[in-house]
Amino acid sequence: MPLISVVLGRLSQAFLLLIAMSLIGFIGVHSVGNPVFNVVNIETATPEDIRQATIALGLDQPIWRQYLLFINNVVRGNFGTSYIYHLPAFALVMSKLPATLELACVAMLIAAPVGTGLGLLAGRRSGTIFDRTVLRSSVFALSIPSFWLSMMLILLGAILTGWFPSGGRGTTARFLGQEWSFLTGNGLWHMVLPALALAIPNVALIARLSRSGTIEVENLDFTRFCRAKGLSSRRILLRHTLPNISVPIVTIIGLQFGGMLAFAVVVESIFAWPGVGKLLIDSIQLLDRPVVMATLTFISVAFVALNALVDLFYAVLDPRVRLS
Amino acid sequence: MQIQSRFCSHRLAALLISLTFWSGLPGPGHAQEELRIATSYKLMTLDPHYANLNENTSLLSHIYERLVYQDDRLDLKPGLAVSWRAVSDRQWEFKLRENVRFHDGSPLTADDVVYTIERIRDFLKSPSGGFRSYLTGIESVSAPDPLTVVINTKGNIPNLPLSFSSIFVMNRPAQGFQTTEELNAGRAGHPPVGTGPYTFESWSSGEVLKLARNDDYWGGRPAWPQVTFRVIESPAARVAALSTGEVDLADAIPARDVASLKQRGRIASVGAARINFLQFDVERDRLPGVTDKSGEPIANPFKDALVRRALAMATDRGILVDKILSGYGTAAAQLFPGGLPGTSETLQPEAPKYDEAKALLAKAGFPDGFNLILAGPAGRYPGDGESLQAIAQSWARIGVKVQPAAAPFSVFNTKRAAGDYAVWYGGASGEAVDIILHALLASPDPESGNGALNFGHYRNQAFDAMLARAESIQEGPERNKALAEATEFVMADQPIIPLYHFHHIVGYGPRIGSYVLHPRGWTTAMQTLAATE
Repeated sequence: MPLISVVLGRLSQAFLLLIAMSLIGFIGVHSVGNPVFNVVNIETATPEDIRQATIALGLDQPIWRQYLLFINNVVRGNFGTSYIYHLPAFALVMSKLPATLELACVAMLIAAPVGTGLGLLAGRRSGTIFDRTVLRSSVFALSIPSFWLSMMLILLGAILTGWFPSGGRGTTARFLGQEWSFLTGNGLWHMVLPALALAIPNVALIARLSRSGTIEVENLDFTRFCRAKGLSSRRILLRHTLPNISVPIVTIIGLQFGGMLAFAVVVESIFAWPGVGKLLIDSIQLLDRPVVMATLTFISVAFVALNALVDLFYAVLDPRVRLS
Repeated sequence: MQIQSRFCSHRLAALLISLTFWSGLPGPGHAQEELRIATSYKLMTLDPHYANLNENTSLLSHIYERLVYQDDRLDLKPGLAVSWRAVSDRQWEFKLRENVRFHDGSPLTADDVVYTIERIRDFLKSPSGGFRSYLTGIESVSAPDPLTVVINTKGNIPNLPLSFSSIFVMNRPAQGFQTTEELNAGRAGHPPVGTGPYTFESWSSGEVLKLARNDDYWGGRPAWPQVTFRVIESPAARVAALSTGEVDLADAIPARDVASLKQRGRIASVGAARINFLQFDVERDRLPGVTDKSGEPIANPFKDALVRRALAMATDRGILVDKILSGYGTAAAQLFPGGLPGTSETLQPEAPKYDEAKALLAKAGFPDGFNLILAGPAGRYPGDGESLQAIAQSWARIGVKVQPAAAPFSVFNTKRAAGDYAVWYGGASGEAVDIILHALLASPDPESGNGALNFGHYRNQAFDAMLARAESIQEGPERNKALAEATEFVMADQPIIPLYHFHHIVGYGPRIGSYVLHPRGWTTAMQTLAATE
């Protein structure tokens, strides 16, 4: 019984979320302006061209009818055709997904172990110079805007030293019908700077979380017992402290990963990394409503799925969740 | 215990250090013969007839070609057509170049030109209607022999060849018409086939376009075996890519980055064949945001030419060009930069004359000035948002209190179309000066399509007549003189305030010997000359 009701509850929540999101997105894009001015060249088009294009895009209809048409099409699995690129909107979003996915994965593969490790060590030795260094640099890393961080990485890693390329995906290889950068040396090379730009704030965030968790756990009775039993410091840290602080860390990893998929806009723009975030911001600027809606829907679904995954992980990590 | 944890941090440090060293290895180099270009023009479609935007035509001009070309003085030059002549007032004849082949090997024939015209006029449906306006004057088209195209027009259209400088020629498929979807599918569908110097390899919309040399090109073997365009919209990222040598050429360089780029590479720039201006609503009796000093709405002051003239005299173009555009702009007094065909020699940008402007304003009945909202797009044209601020300061000196209102381009257009603005910043471009005169200053008429950009509904019948007379003259000095006279006549009435012609700026690296910019602002591999070592 509980599993089914939990799943049903989750699904109905997700459904409500999608409806709310689609309404906000739809009305939001509609009220910004008329996309026709981005489709036709306003400097050469005649009023008749503009009128024709408005009708062709269905923008002459009242907004509620446009919304119902949109929902009707979405139910049938059709997000419409991009006004700007003249390609199916959802396929366009999916074509940008590999770039975003691999960048987010690499960034998280850097951020999660490094952040947790730094946090564990800092918490274990709280008050030492190492701890204070970690704490201060994490405040710094969290407070700098990602725009500035990206520019500094380009300045240091690309312009001054010339070690890394300043942007783009580099050489890609085909795998599962999509183009991936992580399969080629050149592609990985291009990934270093943007992945660092995404990873550094997350390293700081995870390090702070795991540090405070460690300090808390280190003072609990069971850790003292372990120590009294004569277990090595490393074993206590990895076998006993880490599992006990992992629930909030996994939560934040899940949320941040979802954020990287959707909203790595600044990093993707500056590094000319053609991902979902860049597509979203471009489409918003060009008022390409089908693409905006397809992207937002995808992002919402991804967030819901990631949250469900995180919940499942709780059960794996924490026996108390399993028992209740 | 202490030793153990120290061990941990040592290992971490070792890991970090090894990461740093690993990162010191150089990445794989690029093939030397590939030309890499970072462009702001995002290629949205592979259909050359889909939208008349530089975003598409600049990159597609590698693959497709036009019957007629415009050189960097905007004069017409033979393209796929070697010659053309007006047989009568209503008939034109184009002679095609011999031995031109499409990338699939089929020869270029007059029937392909007929197909191109039919595809634009009859097959493509809105919103892909960008090119139809070039062909509205065509009554019929025929191909009496494989190298001759005969076009009958509905009226006398002396500048018909100019229209064909915008239209890419496609080849006729075995049957029917190629759809936009088929072309956009690239290799999976019907990859674009043209006659141009480079052939299509692959693309990804808004990301990258890869081209290869067309060894059989009629104009001789093109310079680069491979050309890769990377779409990089962020100006900072384009500058960075050029600085690190990842690309050989980057277009649309912001003027503020020119100084630092000059230390690493070279810069080319040219005045754009376009105009940025202020436009007034001269039709309505009341205008939103136009009030007297106490905030009470007043009758439309812009109906009075004295007021328009006073505001023009109080506009300091020097600040716009020198400060906002860092010198990469030309102060404007007419529609195209001086020297281009159809421009006037006597119209010169004037320095601000605040006292005279204030006197004029008083003569028009506004000794204390008035308040207005100056609208404009932000981030569409170089210097657009900042210009509003600078103009507000200039006009404040004659008592006109300006509230600048910058908005994203599509928002700006939506509001302007809704009549929310009284006076606004705008931009216009075209193949020739008469096209802009026609769109911007001729009396608006939905029937004929005149005055398509005349959003302020300025009407001047004497000017309309002068423009119509000039346009009935064949291309040549006489036509240009008549156009210049019409411009001088209408600018005396100050229907708009011309502000500046911004410059197209391109930066390039050591592998490029020189780069010739075109006033139309295209970025192509054909404009580069490889460096010879």
